[in-house]
Formats: sequence, structure tokens, C-alpha cells
Amino acid sequence: MHRFRSAVGTVRVRRAGLLALLGLLVAGCGGRDTRPQTTFDAEGPAADTILGLTNLTLIMAAVVFVLVEFGVLWVAWRFRARKDDDPEALPEQLHGNTKLEIGWTALPAVVLAFLAVFTVSAVLDLAEDPGEEATRIRVVGNQWWWSYDYDIDGDGVYADDDVNQRGIEKPEEYETDIEVANEMVIPAGRPVYLEIESRDVIHSFWIPALNGKKDAVPGRTHYLSMEADEPGTFIGQCTEYCGLSHAYMRMVVHALPPAEYDAWVQDQLAPAAEPETPEEAAGLEVFQGRCATCHLVEGVNGEDFDGAAQVSGAAPNLTHFASRGSFAGSIFQQWRDADGSEAVEWDEIGGELNRNQLEAWLRNPPGEKYMAPDDERGMPNLGLSEAEIDSLVAYLTSLD
Amino acid sequence: MAIVERPTTDGTLALEAGPRHASPDDALGVFKRPQGDTGWRSWLFTVDHKRIGIMYGAAALFFFLIGGIEALVIRTQLAAPDQDLISADLYNQMFTMHGVTMIFLVVMPIGAAFMNYLIPLQIGARDVAFPRINAFSFWVYLFGGLFFNTSWFLGGGPDGGWFAYAPNTSVVFSPSHGMDFYAIGIQIVGFGTLAGAVNLIATCLNMRAPGMTLMKMPVFTWMSLVTQFLLLFAMPVISVALFLLTFDRIFDANFFNVAAGADPLLWEHLFWIFGHPEVYIMIMPAFGVVSEIIPVFSRKPIFGYEFMVFSGIAIGFMGWGVWAHHMFASGMGPISVAAFAVSTMFIAVPTGVKILNWIATMWGGKLTFTTPMLFSIGLVTMFTIGGLSGVSHAVAPSDTQQTDTYYIVAHFHYVLFGGALFAFVGGFYFWWPKAFGYLLRETLGKWHFWLMLLGFNLTFGPMHVLGLEGMPRRTHSYFAGYGFDLWNLVATVGAFIIALSFLVFFWNIFVSWRDTKKVGWVPPGPDPWDARSIEWMTASPTPTHNFDHIPVVTHRDEFWYRKYGETDDHRIVRIASSEEVAQTGTRTGVHLPAPSYWPILLCASLPLIGYGLIFNMGLTIAGGVVLLLALYGWAQEPADDPDGGHHDDHGALPEPGHDPQDAAATPAAAGDADKEATLVD
Repeated sequence: MHRFRSAVGTVRVRRAGLLALLGLLVAGCGGRDTRPQTTFDAEGPAADTILGLTNLTLIMAAVVFVLVEFGVLWVAWRFRARKDDDPEALPEQLHGNTKLEIGWTALPAVVLAFLAVFTVSAVLDLAEDPGEEATRIRVVGNQWWWSYDYDIDGDGVYADDDVNQRGIEKPEEYETDIEVANEMVIPAGRPVYLEIESRDVIHSFWIPALNGKKDAVPGRTHYLSMEADEPGTFIGQCTEYCGLSHAYMRMVVHALPPAEYDAWVQDQLAPAAEPETPEEAAGLEVFQGRCATCHLVEGVNGEDFDGAAQVSGAAPNLTHFASRGSFAGSIFQQWRDADGSEAVEWDEIGGELNRNQLEAWLRNPPGEKYMAPDDERGMPNLGLSEAEIDSLVAYLTSLD
Repeated sequence: MAIVERPTTDGTLALEAGPRHASPDDALGVFKRPQGDTGWRSWLFTVDHKRIGIMYGAAALFFFLIGGIEALVIRTQLAAPDQDLISADLYNQMFTMHGVTMIFLVVMPIGAAFMNYLIPLQIGARDVAFPRINAFSFWVYLFGGLFFNTSWFLGGGPDGGWFAYAPNTSVVFSPSHGMDFYAIGIQIVGFGTLAGAVNLIATCLNMRAPGMTLMKMPVFTWMSLVTQFLLLFAMPVISVALFLLTFDRIFDANFFNVAAGADPLLWEHLFWIFGHPEVYIMIMPAFGVVSEIIPVFSRKPIFGYEFMVFSGIAIGFMGWGVWAHHMFASGMGPISVAAFAVSTMFIAVPTGVKILNWIATMWGGKLTFTTPMLFSIGLVTMFTIGGLSGVSHAVAPSDTQQTDTYYIVAHFHYVLFGGALFAFVGGFYFWWPKAFGYLLRETLGKWHFWLMLLGFNLTFGPMHVLGLEGMPRRTHSYFAGYGFDLWNLVATVGAFIIALSFLVFFWNIFVSWRDTKKVGWVPPGPDPWDARSIEWMTASPTPTHNFDHIPVVTHRDEFWYRKYGETDDHRIVRIASSEEVAQTGTRTGVHLPAPSYWPILLCASLPLIGYGLIFNMGLTIAGGVVLLLALYGWAQEPADDPDGGHHDDHGALPEPGHDPQDAAATPAAAGDADKEATLVD
């Protein structure tokens, strides 16, 4: 037992040493607070497998780098022509050395074969289906935001199947599934299996701390395992060029302790909050008049809602809008990021409202984020009055 | 190996049945072939491979300025976080245009410039196999490139990236005409590339001087030959893909329409089956260039010629089996991923062989660090970095963290800038005296090198860190607080240092040219570097007819073996000076193909067709008519101008060479070259 532990310890120490070396290269040298999207901070088993392999590759590459680069420089220095050389005297006209050349063909091949074994085994490991007990989430890319569907009742049907495939009958179990936008919530320490899809162009889903990326290709479903060792908030960014606002398509993953996750599921299954103040009621009216043609709030749009007037046919589901930390493709923070960590952590949600940003967004969305509303790709400027904006903010922030 | 030896001159290849020269009564005989070696017309209608090579180089440098300015705009936008100097839309056009320009209009054409200029000279030929098609290849490239760039003024450039993944390139997601210009522009440029491939393959295989067996060809010509085979098979793939895209966009076809059942991965596969060999298409001529330069300045032959040649061929073959490493995150399944990961790793083996053989060439030599040599060592050191990061992409799980981040941007710039461009710039310095008759200044050349090396590493070195720290590619902006700020600023500073280094280059070209006008300027002579291959065996600048008489080749590095010999006690001594060995550039009894109006006219019709497809079908029809007329005129053009006289007495015996071997072989060789040039044209 002790031996086992010390072996693990050695690996950790070596890895820490390498990270320190790389850290010298990296501005800030800080942790995830200053480098929130780094690939050197693995927080789950998949990312850990990859990081181990990356470190192995980088070490091997570093050795070859040093040998070749210093080799070239040394050869160049050692065999430089000197002033006192006889200009007519030529060096030995060596045409080659077959044994040597076979050697330096074979040696890299052997080294690479070694690396190939680890690579292939990791590829197969990472592709494994975690099985039935995994939480299954459908991740859907849209220009320029993500939506997440949870098949809570396990019947293989997701809440927005009718949006994805227009014309199919809305399933009875509608109320037993969850659809959220921008931020994905997962249970920490439990495997999650993502089914990645797209409603328009190719996107790529990437949470560097948890796993490598996987493309969201329209018409196809791709699978990706994801598990967070510990609770925490992880961020990522779309990494397949997806048009105008590619830079502004981001994602946030909150990994919660399992009990908290279960509570979150129950909250999300509940219908939207009813307005409690006159201001919120006025906001609901604005919502019904202006927003409900595209955005769904469970219980407000009713049964006749059949998708947004968008190329993708979808707009963020706002049923529990206020339970999220960010909006508009996770580029804007809905609540103040108290600790300045570039992400609104779970405990900051519901804190101080980032009111100015939300109002600015409602005032003129295409002014805040590059979109093409005229082509039905993104939110148009609705020309809301300041009074409408105020009541809408009151209503939206009541949707917890 | 019948193909290795040049056919004897018994006339079996000659089509003696037809009339040797067209008579003035022939169809379209009214259009005499243009004449003369001077004036702008002589450039427009030239079929001389050297002039075409020079025009390729000049046009590529022009597009390099455009692509470079686009790069500077990109780097300025990214100098600091959250900048909004240009809109996301304009940024997306910028990086698309930068990529397409640098790949299709700069790096490939610079390679074509060297190949056009050097292949006939290195194999001892008077021209390429099909001189008019050669002119066609150039003009189609220039007009295609200009057509593509006019998109800036006609509604905006393409915004789908050079890789143009479907369905983001469909009219729904890219409603401007930009992607039409992309699809049609690259298509047009591709025609020329494909024709050029056929031309240069035929040249290498059929037009070698007597004794120039395949395994005596200089490494540059070998790498070019491999490149041309890659082009021959790769260009049709992208052509098909671009046709599908064009039909989708212009005629509402459904090849990439997901709603109609299309699978976007089809485009990815088509694109990368072209796109990965394309990488080797860009780097192989550069490998050839340094394989010529390093031996000259090490004063040794290339180490392991056979390994160099066969590793190049191996890369050519293996390059077809690695394309899907661009798609490790595309969701194609673990078995495909594993297979392509392994194949990608092993393509590093022949590439590694090349690096080690270059080092071995330097080993034991007497190195002089001229500007071309510095740039060649620049390739060896910088390409190694790109090669190593390339291996890290082959580790597929790692690649899923790195792909589509700046780590990839760093990688391919180390390959294409640190590799191809360093070599090509070195090649410019090396062959400049051969092409233009004057040397570029060494001091300015060294300033150019060190500035470029510094700027290059400052620009692209930090991108490794940025990528590993999670900065995605193709984003018009980034947020503060991600740790991206410092390295982006460094990269931007580096980009401007690169720009400065090229200002030094252009200044060097100018002042070095101005030096030639000064009293007392001494021309560099045929062989300023004490070089090894036979392109240095003729006068500088190369005379129109290349060689006064075709040399008979007995060795690899034929020129060197005519200058140096071995004494009885195995000492190598000089046996003749360069001037004694080199030919003087006197043209006697050499018959060259006449210029032609048709290639440039035919090429001018293609952009017309392109604009017509985008804006008005009437233009397409007009362009089509011009195209057909030009084809007809081309087909009916007399092999020679019936009224055109010869420059010299056609019947006179060629002047004997310095080498008795040549003298014996010359009448047959010169006669043969004469016949071929006339017939194939």
C-alpha cells in the first residue's frame, strides 16, 4: 500500500516539476484564477489522462528539441570556415553513410512507436461509454450559444425534440425533462455522458479542465465523457469557427455536490416563477408581447410555442433565467463576479445583479454582441422603451 | 528503366509526318506569333520558363504584401484584449483572405517560381515540355488571384476561413458574395496549378540532358517532381469540392445542405484529402532549396542523396494517409482517430531523416555563413520546432485539447513560415545573381535574416503558450483576465519586426540593383558561390536559350566535377575555374519556341466567367465565347511564325564546348532540343 502511494507521489512530483517549468513560460504563473481556460489544469479523469499524455509528448519533444537545435548550432560553430583556411583545400567529400542513415531512420520510428502505443490506448479509453449510471446531457450548439437538455425521466426523449425536428408530436413527458441555456450543471464525482449536436453550423464543445473538445456537427450526434473530480465552475469556448460571433460563444459548467445537483434538478423541473410585484407583472406582459415569439418560459408560452424565428429554430430557454451566472453565449455576467475569477461561481449566482449589462443587452443586443438578426441569426433590436426594459429586468431576475 | 535514359536522337519521337512549319495559309495564320525579347509585350506573351518563373516570383511577392498587410491588421486587432479596431465580420474576412492568399497566392507560387526557373536549368533543358501551357499556368494564377482579391471591393471578402467548413459557407450562413469568390477564385488558380503539374512532370521525365539519369537529378528537382505528383492528385480533389460548393451557393444544390440529408463531414474529408498533401506541396520545394544551398556553403555534397530522394518520395506517399489528423475532434470515431494518429506519427520519420541529413551535410564541412546559408539553417532549426509540435498533434487525445487553438497557429507557421518561407527567401538570395546578374548585398541580407528570425519567433513562439493556455483560433477578440494579454502583445510586436525585415529585403533588392549602375561595378560571373549543379554552368543572368550547348552529364553535381578533380593521393584539387567551365551565353543554332498571344487571352476569360457566375450570367457567356475563341486560336496557332526569321544562321554548326565530351555530343543534343521545342509547343 505504501509503495503504491509513493509511486503515485513520484508521478505527482514529476508532474508538478514539469508544470513549474512550463509555468515559467506562462505569464502570471497563477492557477486557474488567472488562466481560466488553461489545458494544464486537469480537474477530471478524462482531462487527466490527456494531460499525462501531453506531458509525456512535451518531454520527449523537449529532449529532441534540445538535441537537434544545439546539435545544429554546435555543428555550425565547429565546422565554420576559418580565416586561416586554405581557400582551395576542400573538406572530405563524404556522400553518405548507409548504416548511420538506416539508424537514424529506425530510431525515431521506435521512439514514435512507443508514443503510438500510449496514444492508441488513450484514444480507446477516452471513447468508452460510461454506462447507464452516467448522467446523460444533450449539448446543442446554436449560433452563438449552447443549450443543454437533460433527460431526467430517462425515456430517451428530450424536452426540445419538437424544436429540433419540427412536426413531431410534443411528448407527454414534456414537464419531466429540463432544457437550459448557456450554463451546464453537472454532479461532481459522477460520470456525465454528453450527446453533442448542432442546430446550424459546426461548433465545438470544449471545457479544457474536464476533457478535450468535440465538434457539434449538424445532423450528427457525437459523444463525450465528462466528469469533474471536485465541485467547481469551469469555463470553455466554442473552438470550431462558427461565423460572425465565434469569439462570443462561450460556455460555463458548474459541477455541484451530488445533493446540490439533485436539488437543482428539482428546481429546474418546477414551472417558471409567477410575478409577485406589479413591476414583474408588467415585465411578464412585455415578455409575452415581445420576447415569447422566440424565447420559451415554461407555462408562459403555452403549448402552441413551436420554436424561435431563427435559422436554428431555437433561442435560449428562459424558464429559470435567474438561476444562471451568465447570458448571451456566456459572454456577459448576469451576477457580479465578486472574486474576479472571470466566471460567476455557483455561490455568486443570485448575489448582486449586473444590472447595467442586462439593460444594455435589452436596449440593443446587436450593439453588444456581433449577430446577424436580419438573417435570423441572433437577437434583433426590439426597440424597447426604458420602462419596458426596467420591468423586463424585474421579471427576468425573478425567474429563479 | 527506359525512362531513365534520354531517348536517342534517331527520330522515333519526332512526328515527321506533318509539315515542319505551318504555312501562311493555315487557319488563323493571320495572327502571327509575336516576336522580340524586349518591351512589355515580350513579357505578356512570353513562353520562356525563366521569364514565367520571374513573373511567378514577382506576383507572389505582390500578393505577399497584401497577405502581410492582412496579417498586420489581424495582429493589431489582437494586440490587446477586447479591442474593436475592426468588426468581427471584417476580422473574419481578414483571416480568411490572409490564409488563402498566403497559401494559394504566395507560398505555392513562390515554389512554382523556383521550379519554373530552375528545373529546366538543373536538368539541362532549353525550356519546359509545354511552354505555352506554362504561360497559361502563370496567367491563370495571376488573374485568379486578382479576381479573388477584387472581392474586397465587390461586397466583402470570403468569411468562412480557408478551410471553409460546410455548412457555415452556405448562402444562409454566409450571405455575402465572399465565399463565391473563394470557391471560384481558388478553382481558377487550381486550373493553372494542375496544368503546371502535368507540364513539370513531363519536363522532368522527358527533357533531361544526355546522361542526366533520374538519380543524378539535383535534390531540388527531385523534390519538385514529388511536389508535382502531389499536385496532380490533390488538385482534382479540391476542384471537385469547390465545384460542389459553387453549385450549392449559386445553383441551390444540396451537397452540403444538412436539412436535405447532407453530412458536413463530407466537406471536411474532401478538403483535407487535398489539404494535407497541400502542406507537403508547400514544404517540399523548400526542402529542395535548402538541399541545394547547404552543400554549396558546406563545400560538401549532400549527405545521403538516396535517402534524401527516397524520404521525399516516402513523404509524398504517406502524405495521402494522414489527412484526418485535422479532424480528431470532428467525431469520426475512435478507430479512425487511432489509425490516423499512428500514420501521422510515422510521417515524422522521413521528415526527421531530412533534418539529420542536412546536419550531416554540414558535419565536417567548411561552412560559410552567407545569407542563403543563414536562411537554410533557419529552416533546419525552425522547421524542427514545427515538426515536433506536429508530432504532438499526432497524439490524438492531446490534439483534442490543442486543435483549433493558437497552438495550431504556432505549429503551421513554424512549418510554413519557419520552413517554406525561410528556404524560399534563402533561395532568392542564392539564385538572384543567376536570374538577374547581380548579387544582393550581404550585410543587408544578414540584417534581413536576423530581423526575420527574431520577429518570426516573437510572433509565433508565444502562440504555443497561448494555445496551451486555451486561446482558440479565428476569434476576432479575447477577454482580459485569461492570461492572453502579454503574449498577444509580444506576437504583435514580432509581426511588425517581420514586416521591417521585409522592408530591408525590398530595400536590398533596390540598392543592389542601383549598385549595378555604378562605375566600376563587377558582375558576379556565372558562379558566384562555387556551386555544384549545372544551372551555374551558364552565364548570369541566364541567356534566353539557357545553354549554348546541352551539357552531357556524367555525375551528380556535374558542374562541381568539372571544376574539381582528385589527385593520385586522393586530394581534391581545383582543375578548372568556373569561368573556364561555364558557357558564355552565345546563342548559335538554337531554336526556341516563339511567344504566343493565346495563353494570356484564354486566362483573361476565366475571371469574366467567374464574375458572370456571381453577378450576371451574360458575362459568363461572354467569357465563354472568349474562352472558346482563345482555345481555337491556340489550337490553330502555327508552331512558328511563318514569316518570322531566325535569330541566327540555323544551319551553322554549334560552337564546340570546352569539354571534349560535350563537343562530341553537342550536334546531336542541340539538334534534339531544337526539334523537341518546336514540336511540343
